[in-house]
Amino acid sequence: MESIHTAQFLFRQKTDIDSVFELLSREYSLHETGCTHLIRHYLDSFDWRLYRNGYLCGWDERINTNSLNGNGVFFVHEKKTGDCICELPMDRVPRFSKEIVYQACRKLLDEMLDVRALMAVATLRIQSRESLVLNEDNKTLAILQVENYTVQGQTEEKQLSGRLLVCSIRGYKKVFKHVLRIITERIQLSRASNGLIDEVFAVSGQNVAPNRFSVIRKFTDTQNTWETVQILLRHLLSVMQANEPGMRAAIDTEFLHDYRVALRRARSVLGQIKHILPNKSLAYFKRELLWLGAVTTPTRDLDIYLLKFDDYRRQLPMELQHDLEPFRRFLERHWKIEHARMCRALDSRRYQNLIGKWQKIFASEDIHPKHVLSRDTPPTETCNATKPARQVASQRIWKLYKRVLDEGRAITAQSHDEALHELRKTCKKLRYLIEFFHDYFSDEQINKRVRTLRRLQENLGDFQDLCVQLEQLNGFAEQMQQEGIAETKTIMAMGVLVEKLNERKALVRAEFGQRFKAFSQPEEKSAFASAFSPRNLLKGTLA
Amino acid sequence: MKVIAFYNVKGGIGKTAATVNLAYLAAYEGARTLVWDLDPQGAASFYFRIKPKVKKGGKGLLTGKKALDDVIKGTDYKRLDLIPSDFSYRNLDLELDDFKKSDTRLRKLLKPLAEDYDFIFLDCPPSISLVSENTLIAADTVIVPTIPTTLSLRTLDQILDFCNKMNIDHSKIVAFFSMVDSRKKLHKQIIENPPQNVRMLKTCIPYASDVEQMGIYRQPVTVFARNSRAGNAYQKLWHEIKRFV
Repeated sequence: MESIHTAQFLFRQKTDIDSVFELLSREYSLHETGCTHLIRHYLDSFDWRLYRNGYLCGWDERINTNSLNGNGVFFVHEKKTGDCICELPMDRVPRFSKEIVYQACRKLLDEMLDVRALMAVATLRIQSRESLVLNEDNKTLAILQVENYTVQGQTEEKQLSGRLLVCSIRGYKKVFKHVLRIITERIQLSRASNGLIDEVFAVSGQNVAPNRFSVIRKFTDTQNTWETVQILLRHLLSVMQANEPGMRAAIDTEFLHDYRVALRRARSVLGQIKHILPNKSLAYFKRELLWLGAVTTPTRDLDIYLLKFDDYRRQLPMELQHDLEPFRRFLERHWKIEHARMCRALDSRRYQNLIGKWQKIFASEDIHPKHVLSRDTPPTETCNATKPARQVASQRIWKLYKRVLDEGRAITAQSHDEALHELRKTCKKLRYLIEFFHDYFSDEQINKRVRTLRRLQENLGDFQDLCVQLEQLNGFAEQMQQEGIAETKTIMAMGVLVEKLNERKALVRAEFGQRFKAFSQPEEKSAFASAFSPRNLLKGTLA
Repeated sequence: MKVIAFYNVKGGIGKTAATVNLAYLAAYEGARTLVWDLDPQGAASFYFRIKPKVKKGGKGLLTGKKALDDVIKGTDYKRLDLIPSDFSYRNLDLELDDFKKSDTRLRKLLKPLAEDYDFIFLDCPPSISLVSENTLIAADTVIVPTIPTTLSLRTLDQILDFCNKMNIDHSKIVAFFSMVDSRKKLHKQIIENPPQNVRMLKTCIPYASDVEQMGIYRQPVTVFARNSRAGNAYQKLWHEIKRFV
């Protein structure tokens, strides 16, 4: 789609541009404002949220200018047309959408980025010469920009084709069209068909990464359980490894979150797809992954508190809000300690051994189950390894579904919080399994079932979060007192917060009954049965 | 979108200079900004080098959003657009009178622009009329440049009375001292004892030749003399206004 505000032409030689200027100067007064050298940093989140939504974002750093607008300009463009959505003078690259001052732009970025940070995804050097098309009052009617680009490729710097940009000024459409006509009809420059960003990505070897948790390889009916488990664990390890640098550098909280989700999923694979690994190996991985979960938990917990802090503040009466600030400082200080501790764990030999073994057993394409198993492994320990994955997965999903129903039905108003937590864990395992093996079931079946399950999980998740927060808030208050940094006012504010969270917890708890009822209603049950029950699976196979 | 009207019954007190400079500063900082030059004298249009002419005149503009969209012109500054003045605006009162709910017509016209702009600055003509009433109703904030003299303060009272009569929210009226001559004793006295019945901004705009030079450069002071006394004062004023709009 072509922009109605800006047109881009490719040129190969300087003489093309000279001809454009020569022809235009016969009809308009042209004023050259000078040459600017820019470094353009294209920005996006780690998971390409802006690009996927059709936007480009970046920060132009001016190198040779005393411009009044400072040294940098942050911009958001529409990817298809290149039209400017917003352009703000900023002295540094904003990391989060909340750093954008103007509401419309902040809102747009906020909706896409949420808690994700902006990171540089490509860098481009631009030499730009700007000329203004003026009328008799020296009013600008259109802007011409001649741009030359240099990209840092994988091995060396590379020049891209230069571009002539013609930018319209609102209300002077006729002049814009006339200038375009001169360029296309008389000089016959061709319009740029590709976006600049795509050329930059092609040269710099940058790929827009796929969705973070989706396994690209499709499972087939002929695959055995071991092969699918291998694919899953290989993929989950790659997700963890991709997120590790960002989580160590604390670019944003999602790196750690995604790392932990991948880790939890890996634990789920090992725990739920039984009898595929010898007991000894299984015990090793289970123990080590549990350890990895434990060393990353404190940082994640503190991340959550810090992310929710402004919400916490808002829940308090105005006069108490400021009193909560020492608690924020306490969280920030402890976050630094826990983050450093987590990084040390990731540097440890224990962690390196775990990753090494993981790669050896699961990441090698060649390994066949027979090589994993030692001769003295009793066959029962790995009896599922060579069975069809579809059969093993369906049996397990069905079993877990029945367990969710049993655990849910057993919960009454008097049940302990722990019962809901157990149900939450079972739901999580069930959902992960459904998602892992979604290739074996129809999209329609899967999507609807996952939606109902997710609604139940949201309730259980909120409840568990509140339980943990309440327990930890009391612990933090005690810790702050021991550290001598808690003023009475702060402890009182935290007390009020505990009350508010308790009220919320009661509400969420009361909602559980309805959510579970929706999940366990007869239509849902029969839909689950038709999708996952081994009996139906067998029928399907026979048919 | 916030609508800020610059209004005073008196003329020649720095309304247009304030509109042009503050709108430029808003756009310069990144806000999508529109100035509507409602004064048939067209001084704001002149400063922006845009011909004071709109298709179908003032009457045409009052018909709907499309008409407004059609006449918006880009200035020489990024993110800053203008609806130019037109000599026919001198009859805007009569034309507004032809509409039902004539006092809220302007507000209705501006509403659809909320998606396109963060700020709309209205440069109002110096009078008390249906146009003034419309701008006072449409604006979220009405800024009244006031020269620190007895007569100007009397005018400020008249504006406040007018708002009371028209049932217009008094709290959106904000004034600042304009064309301040620090050598004049009266100016000093009034600034030291500002009126208490209206919110007075702390920043004063000095009487400075740089402001007059806007007509020669046809640019905001903040473009050609950013660090001058007047340039600094406008930056300070915008900083103060930004905090509450």
